[in-house]
Amino acid sequence: MKALVFERNLPRFAAARLASVVAGSGHGVGVGPLELLEVDPPSLPAPGWVRLEPRLAGICGSDLATLDGRSSRYFEHLVSFPFVPGHEIVGDVKGGRLDGRRAVLEPVLGCEARGIDPPCPACAGGHKGACERIAFGSLAPGLQTGYCADTGGGWSAGLVAHESQLHEVPEALSDEAAVMVEPTACAVHAACSTEPPSGASVVVLGAGTLGLCTIAALRHFCLPGTLVAAAKHPTQRQLAADLGADQVVEPGEVVRAARRLSGTLALVSDAGRIERLAGGVDIVYDCVGSPESLEQSLAIAHPGGDIVLVGMPGVTRVDLAPLWQREVRLRGAYAYGAEARPEGTRSTFELAFELVASARLERLVSAAYPLERYEEAVAHAAAAGRRGSVKIVFDLRRKSRSRTPSEEAE
Amino acid sequence: MSAPTLPSRPRPDGSVPPSRFLLRKPTRPLGADPLPVKGGLGTSYDTAWARRYPVRLARAMLLDDVTRPLLRAGCAPTVFGLDHLDPLELPVILAANHSSHLDTALLLSCLPTRIRHHTVVAAAADYFFDRRLKATAWAFVLGAIPMERTKVNRRSADLAAGLIEEGWSLVIFPEGGRTPDGWGQEFKGGAAYLAKRCLVPVVPVHIRGTRAIIAKGSSTLRPGPTEVRFGDPLWPETDEDARRFAARIERAVALLADEAETDWWSARRRAAAGTTPPFRGPQASPWRRSWGLPPSADPTPRRVPSTAEPDESSAPRRWRPKRSPTSWPQRTAD
Amino acid sequence: MSPRPGFVLEVDRSTPQTLFWRGEGFGLERLPAGSRVLYGPEPLAALRDPDAAIRHALDHPLGDSAPLRSLLHAGMKLTIAFDDISLPLPPMKSPDVRQRVIEAVLDLAAEAGVDDVVLIAALALHRRMTDDELRHALGTRVFDAFAPHGLLVQHDAEDPANLVDLGQTDEGEDVELNKRAVESDLLVYVNINLVAMDGGHKSVATGLASYKSLKHHHNVRTMRASKSFMDRHHSQLHTSNWRMGKLIAEAGVKIFQIETTLNTDTFPPEMRFLQRREWEWTARDRASFFATSKALERTPPELARRIFHSVKAPHDLTSVQAGEVDAVHDRTLENVFRQQIVPVEGQTDILTMGLPYICPYNVNSIMNPILVACLGLGYFFNLYRGRPLVREGGVVIMSHPTPWAFNPVHHPSYIDFFEQVLSETTDMLEVESKYETAFATDPWYIHLYRTSYAYHGVHPFYMWYWCAHALEHVSKVIIVGGDRAAVRRLGFSPASTLADALEMASDVVGRDPSITHLHTPPLLLADVQ
Repeated sequence: MKALVFERNLPRFAAARLASVVAGSGHGVGVGPLELLEVDPPSLPAPGWVRLEPRLAGICGSDLATLDGRSSRYFEHLVSFPFVPGHEIVGDVKGGRLDGRRAVLEPVLGCEARGIDPPCPACAGGHKGACERIAFGSLAPGLQTGYCADTGGGWSAGLVAHESQLHEVPEALSDEAAVMVEPTACAVHAACSTEPPSGASVVVLGAGTLGLCTIAALRHFCLPGTLVAAAKHPTQRQLAADLGADQVVEPGEVVRAARRLSGTLALVSDAGRIERLAGGVDIVYDCVGSPESLEQSLAIAHPGGDIVLVGMPGVTRVDLAPLWQREVRLRGAYAYGAEARPEGTRSTFELAFELVASARLERLVSAAYPLERYEEAVAHAAAAGRRGSVKIVFDLRRKSRSRTPSEEAE
Repeated sequence: MSAPTLPSRPRPDGSVPPSRFLLRKPTRPLGADPLPVKGGLGTSYDTAWARRYPVRLARAMLLDDVTRPLLRAGCAPTVFGLDHLDPLELPVILAANHSSHLDTALLLSCLPTRIRHHTVVAAAADYFFDRRLKATAWAFVLGAIPMERTKVNRRSADLAAGLIEEGWSLVIFPEGGRTPDGWGQEFKGGAAYLAKRCLVPVVPVHIRGTRAIIAKGSSTLRPGPTEVRFGDPLWPETDEDARRFAARIERAVALLADEAETDWWSARRRAAAGTTPPFRGPQASPWRRSWGLPPSADPTPRRVPSTAEPDESSAPRRWRPKRSPTSWPQRTAD
Repeated sequence: MSPRPGFVLEVDRSTPQTLFWRGEGFGLERLPAGSRVLYGPEPLAALRDPDAAIRHALDHPLGDSAPLRSLLHAGMKLTIAFDDISLPLPPMKSPDVRQRVIEAVLDLAAEAGVDDVVLIAALALHRRMTDDELRHALGTRVFDAFAPHGLLVQHDAEDPANLVDLGQTDEGEDVELNKRAVESDLLVYVNINLVAMDGGHKSVATGLASYKSLKHHHNVRTMRASKSFMDRHHSQLHTSNWRMGKLIAEAGVKIFQIETTLNTDTFPPEMRFLQRREWEWTARDRASFFATSKALERTPPELARRIFHSVKAPHDLTSVQAGEVDAVHDRTLENVFRQQIVPVEGQTDILTMGLPYICPYNVNSIMNPILVACLGLGYFFNLYRGRPLVREGGVVIMSHPTPWAFNPVHHPSYIDFFEQVLSETTDMLEVESKYETAFATDPWYIHLYRTSYAYHGVHPFYMWYWCAHALEHVSKVIIVGGDRAAVRRLGFSPASTLADALEMASDVVGRDPSITHLHTPPLLLADVQ
């Protein structure tokens, strides 16, 4: 079957890195280690595993970082080569309890999937994202499906999945909505695990897929006071406003908007530029993960406030003096598991399904490409904001041709 | 032989490699006592080295070949009253009013050669001698000796007296510091005391125009004309105490100031009538004291050009003396 | 040759192109035949001996007032307030009028032995002046005598310890003024009456007031009822200030008003062509124009701004009067009209104007889009007496690059106003009701106003209200050559060339509109019949 395979090939990795720096993000694919190959479908590693045939598979920011050669070396031990990327998957299940039905994959490979019994404390509590056995067990190392040599991944015609990873898709939900569930779950986990106090002032930096889903999740599951979103591109700004941001500003205006929101005084350079706020906002969600966004977050979070890193950052050089002096809490929000809600503990994916349906997040899927046109797809995903798009997916349904669904208003 | 490398690897026994030791200041072991610190600062700074012949020679060259031409170009000084100095036997004490950092250099430049190269200058110990580098610099450039200005200090008084007795003339500013607002301050008793103790005359000096060039607290330099006036030397009287003598010196300088503004005769008549304009200015609020300054003490004297003239007041003043340079030093008949 | 009065030119085929200002630059535009161009009167001759005239005025006051000499005595509390950096425009060459007048006053004060003197820059909610600006306005002699002792202060409208409430006028308008000024035995105000809006009771009632007072006449309703604010008898702004002035007098504040007028000799000799009628340009003028405009095309905007703002105008004193406020102001206005009035017959469909690089609120600074709107639709639109130059429902076309640029030190609240308020709404009343109080009371803007060189948080609102009458009157505003996004944010229409703008205007006023061009600076006041 056809699959996009990511080989371990250092020279090509370096070439991809260079190309992405010179020509821009997403352009390293042509020279990089990713190749469209004819491979055998992966075999079922153990009982409890079933086959999954992807219908739609999304391209995520972490995938782009990997393809550009930009991802942190932290992940070296949590990835096994060669792997098929793609962890945002809705597909047809072949075998097992959901045989013949559509399911969304929860890509995290926890203790259960790895056949480790008894499960580690995190997995026992349902927080598979924090699994402590991530590189062990009967599977090759891989923090998620899509980074593991034994499981295959979404950017292919078929992969394998453990029953515990599959969530049934209700009939009423379209494929586009289903493929949004996984990224939405990341956002839901970020929002629910760091729940801002009621009436808090919130700033969300970045309005790509993750940023927009975070805005929707905050609106739906929490009770923020005023929510300010920073979005670079007009499509993003429009969507941010639709999904519940009270105020949408350009990235350069965020510090001033945060100052107005919190009504605080500021520390100003000689030229009049606001360097940082004396007070600040209660909580900042950094859905960009760049050094600039982290600096901006530190400039606007108030003493004792929170900065949540939702998007995957890389190796960053940042001045931590403000973090120390203002006793700011910097925390990560990764993947999903189970959330403590007023009504009881619920799985993140369950909440994500709810959010995708109520906020109609299928409109964030802007374009779909066949596997053969993967170079274009990755380039489009890397430049999505600029091109008025949000989420780009691979369309693996049998009789489909690449189509570009209607985009949101420019 | 290969070049020495630094820094070096740590040695097993922890000792410092020889190259390192020679290049860095050695650390003192805890059991050893420190050497006594030599040389003080302030009034205990020893300026004797600056009076040795080679240093005096260098200082004289600096004064004559660098400082004097520069001052001549920038300050265009006119000197009056040198004939008061001619018949005097050295040493003398020169007591001048003080309004600018330029005063000392200007006064020294205007002295006749026999005095100029054999003079020390009393400089405030707390300002000029507070750091080693500054003390060295001023002792060299001006031949400065530290003088305590806020209270009576035996050491600086003895030093000054000793030097006078050796034949050094002394330049001293009895006000104790530069004038903050352009008017004079009360003359302190140092010059008077030294004159009585060593039985030497005090020559009053009035320096005019230096405040307009660079005032106290200002950092801008505006070249302009200056005048240095030497007055009648004053001998200490036997029954006069230092304070009254200081007041007499102050009156003499006030007379010279009046002479500078008007002329010698009017100044004399006013001195006789007791109506010399007060050296310390009017008793009024600060703004009125500023308003009443004579133009030479005012860094920005009022000039109101007529509308017919092209506007000059907003153009920056150029580095150019207002009068044509005259031969140095200028002797003008009184 | 005595200066010629202003006149209205009717453009015909022999008319050369007309000079249009475009911010830090200018160009030539061809106006269609039949357009009118308003030229101001030539500059009157300045007084030959201004200092003598000032001393004469101080000794021979107008109205119910004794000569200044006899009002000064030892032991009294004297305060001298003076107009701030917004006047005159462009800034005068040395010596500034304020320097001359204040030195004359201080000479009298020194003679009388007055010790307690304080100088106050009456800047209301404008920005504080820098030391250099104060030195330029007052002269170094006054600055050096007062500033080091803390006797030269800038009015701080947000310092409760330095404000005193004088009560309310009959219409319920609060009057809250600078404490030192009110508690003095004599308050001398030194004014420069550049345009007919300035001076009179407005000097003290506005210049030394606080937000609590100002909001009673700096609001949309008052500005809409000021037609125009250059004509005090038809201006609600002035009626309110006059009421406040009456209250101030009744409260016992003794004011000795000194008002001065300037001629319109606005540009130095090398830029004289900017003042002359185009068909009277000599060869040298044409060469100057060509060289300057070509050089400016290649100059980066920051440098061009600095060059223009360093230009000092040669305008000088044409009259000075002192004494009682009302009597003085009537005589002052006579002199202003003598210099500036141009009689104009009838209104027009389209009013065009070129906006220069400077307005009262961006001296030594950047003209941001809000100030562009204020200059064009506030000041220039209101340079009339009688009826506006453009008919109701007409179109105003202004030319200015309108850069999306703000000076963050001088205009921090303007940036927020532009980013936040105008992006939501440009409707005056909504802006006023929803946002004004938040900006006026924001502690950050207050901090910058008091300690830095920033206009008060509420000031951009006042700039917007200044356009209230114009925006109610005309139906379309077009900016030629402006940054499109900035112009759109203001709620106006961007056009690339004047021809395009006239084309866009024809949608509103029809195919064959009448056009009038306001050829200013130099300043003029249209008397429209």
